[in-house]
Amino acid sequence: MVLRSMSDLKGIVAGKPRKKLVLAAAQDQQSLGAVLRAWNDNIIEPVLIGDNDRIQTICAENGYNISGLRIIHEPDTDKAVEMAIKMLSAKQADVLMKGKVGTSMLLKSVLNKEWGLRTGNLLSHIALFEVETYHKLIAVTDVAMNIAPTLKEKIAILNNSVSFLCKLGYVMPKVAVLGAVEMVNENMEATLDAALLSKMNQRDQIKNCIIDGPLAFDNAISLESARQKGIRSEVAGDTDLLLMPDIEVGNVLYKSLVFFAKAKVASIILGALVPIVLTSRSDSEQAKYDSILLSAAAS
Amino acid sequence: MTVYFSQQLQANSLPMIRLDEMVKKVLSLKKRHRIAVAWAQDANTVGAINKAVTDGLAEAIMVGSSAEIVKTCKNSGIDPGLFRIVDSENEITASAEAVRLVRSDEADILMKGLVGTDKFLKAVMDKNNGLMLPGAVLSYVCALDIPSYHKLLFITDPAVIPFPSLEQKIAMARYAIEMAGRFGIDQPRLALIGASEKMSPHFESSFEYATMCKMALRGEFNNCIMDGPLDVFLACDKKSIEIKGVKTPVDGDADILLFPSLESSNPFYKGLMLFAGAELAGLIRGTVKPVVVMSRSESEKSKYYCIALACLMS
Repeated sequence: MVLRSMSDLKGIVAGKPRKKLVLAAAQDQQSLGAVLRAWNDNIIEPVLIGDNDRIQTICAENGYNISGLRIIHEPDTDKAVEMAIKMLSAKQADVLMKGKVGTSMLLKSVLNKEWGLRTGNLLSHIALFEVETYHKLIAVTDVAMNIAPTLKEKIAILNNSVSFLCKLGYVMPKVAVLGAVEMVNENMEATLDAALLSKMNQRDQIKNCIIDGPLAFDNAISLESARQKGIRSEVAGDTDLLLMPDIEVGNVLYKSLVFFAKAKVASIILGALVPIVLTSRSDSEQAKYDSILLSAAAS
Repeated sequence: MTVYFSQQLQANSLPMIRLDEMVKKVLSLKKRHRIAVAWAQDANTVGAINKAVTDGLAEAIMVGSSAEIVKTCKNSGIDPGLFRIVDSENEITASAEAVRLVRSDEADILMKGLVGTDKFLKAVMDKNNGLMLPGAVLSYVCALDIPSYHKLLFITDPAVIPFPSLEQKIAMARYAIEMAGRFGIDQPRLALIGASEKMSPHFESSFEYATMCKMALRGEFNNCIMDGPLDVFLACDKKSIEIKGVKTPVDGDADILLFPSLESSNPFYKGLMLFAGAELAGLIRGTVKPVVVMSRSESEKSKYYCIALACLMS
């Protein structure tokens, strides 16, 4: 199965019991807006933890109806985050979402050794794009968390991403390891790593997916371009997941898809006990909404 | 699977599967290749050359102490008149002179006599007066005729490069593929040999192999089917593949084995020669003309095969 649009995610969510999402430090207008919309659409059941007075004010100012919603009053941000995470580690909820709290603080708490959400896996970011010019959704990792992943980290990122895609219903997703060129070049480490990852996949050391790389961006997403270059590949032109060489490439690709190609995007953090919705302020409310949808589909 | 890139397939006849076929092929060319032999004054060299000359394979220019050459010939019951003899003072001058003969096109093939390999190769690798192709890697490929294997098995590099770098491994693979091509093997199966088929950070070669496989997939080794790391069982034995369940395009039917080091390849071929009755034909690669270097302990047959191979590759 492959996903063709964000609305396909709704189909996945509809077939499952409604997931509980905890919004940590919920006094944040944008996050609240997206969470409440998702709640109205029956995608998730939110729990708001944060400063109740400010939550009420924001909702009143924006005309959000929150009657019947569970709100836990905790004005101290650190404590609100801790409470949210403990709720998740006690399996009383399914998804964590960042409200008005710094990313580094939230992640530090996620990784807390006593009550955090550690699994032993590396945390990594995955973004799912709906682009008009591509025939299906395309996942991209890692555009936001791991700066310059080593080979070992790339393996961890791939494992996170592949098991996430499998949870969404993919079978043997096609993974392109991105390079500037499709040829192996000793002077470009990304291309060497790509060759290694392909071979490890061939030897079943990275499972449940088909990896090819290096592939240049055009060969990865365009069959025509791969043909012109004479590339024999099961992945080229039909990529489900793009593995970025580093955060710079990933971030620029992410933003150019959103700004130039008007792509719809949903993104979450993988590798913790539960999916984490960690959108930035610059993300649109739609992106936040879609991220919540994605987290519900993946949990 | 669709093959997008076009390959120039050589219109070859059936691949040769034994070294005797190679000798037949060279004899059928009816061309006497001119071999310049450096410091050609030991019975071993003279014996091997004599057979090549009397078979019509070659004509020889023996460079060395002419008195010694004549003496050695007479002791071996060989007519020194069969050869052109060029007098030279010592092994270094003889090597330089033999190389010069090849450079100036007075000879087609260079061969090492009693001179030490180091001194000989020094003359070959001399920047101004040597025989190296510009920028080329000096390496060695040999074709093994193993009675218990169903075809020839090319191996590299059992003689020259102790610990080949990735770049050198790439060159080694290309030399072996080229040589296999001369034997009529248009789409050779090349196994990159390790102790196991798994990728492991403990074996740097496994990482280099992954790189090479990807290069092969992208068409950088022409029509070669390459896979590795593979152990020798997986490379050459279909049964082992079944047992282990490893998917490999080489399919237990390797034509070429590329070894990670000289210490692995050298005992491999020597073991086969000693215990499995194998014979070999080997040649230095990376030079403008074929260069024959053989060890004195090789059999008469293998020595002859080496000379025949040089003629084939000339």
